[in-house]
Amino acid sequence: MAEPIRTRELRTVAGRQVYFDAEGFFWDPDDWSDEAAEELAGESGTLRLDDVQWRVLRFLRAYYLYHGRAPMNRELRAGTELSLGELERLFPDGIRMGARRLAGLPNPKTCLD
Amino acid sequence: MTDRLVYLDNAATTFPKPAEVLRGMVETYARIGASPGRGNHDLAAQAGTFADETRARVARFFGAPDPTRVIFAANASDALNTAIFGLVRPGDHVVATRLDHNSVLRPLHHLAEREIITCDLAPFDGRGFVDPDAIAALLRPATRAVVMCHGSNVLGTIQPVAEIGRLCAERGVLLVVDAAQSAGQVPIDMTALGISALAFTGHKALYGPSGIGGLVLRPDLDVETTRFGGTGMDSASLVHSQAYPLRLELGTLNLLGVIGLSLGIDFVEGRGLGNLHRQEMALLTRLRDGLASNSAVTLYCADDLAGHLPVLTANVAGIHPQDVGAILDGDFGIAVRVGVHCAPLVHRDLGTIDRGAVRFSLGAFTTAEEIDLAIEAMNAITHPARA
Repeated sequence: MAEPIRTRELRTVAGRQVYFDAEGFFWDPDDWSDEAAEELAGESGTLRLDDVQWRVLRFLRAYYLYHGRAPMNRELRAGTELSLGELERLFPDGIRMGARRLAGLPNPKTCLD
Repeated sequence: MTDRLVYLDNAATTFPKPAEVLRGMVETYARIGASPGRGNHDLAAQAGTFADETRARVARFFGAPDPTRVIFAANASDALNTAIFGLVRPGDHVVATRLDHNSVLRPLHHLAEREIITCDLAPFDGRGFVDPDAIAALLRPATRAVVMCHGSNVLGTIQPVAEIGRLCAERGVLLVVDAAQSAGQVPIDMTALGISALAFTGHKALYGPSGIGGLVLRPDLDVETTRFGGTGMDSASLVHSQAYPLRLELGTLNLLGVIGLSLGIDFVEGRGLGNLHRQEMALLTRLRDGLASNSAVTLYCADDLAGHLPVLTANVAGIHPQDVGAILDGDFGIAVRVGVHCAPLVHRDLGTIDRGAVRFSLGAFTTAEEIDLAIEAMNAITHPARA
């Protein structure tokens, strides 16, 4: 009945040493940079983030930095002018592991934590 | 996007609550909302009488002979903590199951990690049921209790507690049942089922508010007091009251919750527990059939829905369950529960521990139209070009 322990891993991304959690989310959202997002996207098979993807990442970061939390689903839809289904398909790893992770938002606190 | 909310997260908490429950809570609390059993004014006596009448209702509802053995708690987790910590002794052995919720697993893990008890977990089979023989195989002379869920909150399977109750009675082992999912869904007669202690919550299929639940004990079972405080009785003594139910209660009672619990039981009994269950299971079958026809959807332990609660857990090939939940909510207005549902061992055994799954759970207000919308939404998610 052992409990999983949340661990962090130090990696070099875009020339900087950055902590990530076990799922690859930034430990500290302030460590995020455009270059880091591009490098992480490359690891997921996206050679270069396009304008629409950047628009989503910019919205997520701006929302998070202003409100201190990730947007709710309806806010994400309104703010990106994309359906959640479109958003999921826009990033190879989907919304949670793709858009949200690449935008440097914290790992959502859910039952998976 | 629709303005409509299709709420399919009733296993987390039922929503909406019946209007009569909410209305009655406000009206009754406005009328008698004093501190039950505290003071000698009539209002406190009225509040105390209401609480005692609700204990009697709960006892009748669960086939328990003694209303004083109905202990109010915040929820099933709270009640299970009271039962587990008040029953086990150093050196005891406890059996639980891999289907159990963290409300069972974590207290036991806490005690086992500190080497206060030892614990074994019975597996579940491919259909999502625990075989009583698997429980029997784990019992030892030192086994104090079997603590287990009645209904799985992930798979919806209703466990054979009657057989396990007989087994426990034969071996002199206590049976502590977590009825968080089953209370209000299926009849529970503690005496007939051989249950020693039953933990329930009021805010799921009993249609009360969150913050109220309880522990119901068979009359000859003593549970040690593990939390201490004011009871409104024996106030000159520094020793916590040892008479039931106060032996296991402390502080001012959640009277608003007790009122809601009573009204929730009214709702369930008024609609008919069997009627509600049949209605919800018919809709669950409709949902299962609709999702089963989608080759991109994996359903867990849902081939045969006999002996199930209205809970269905699924995954979509190639899409993270968190994203499925977000799309259902954001694009279709359908609320479901994603993740590992506080039941990690079920998901380990299903092979879904890393990402979790999507759980649909139905309630009294779920309609066939809503089920069809959920099926259409899942088809649109898995085959977007056809949507």
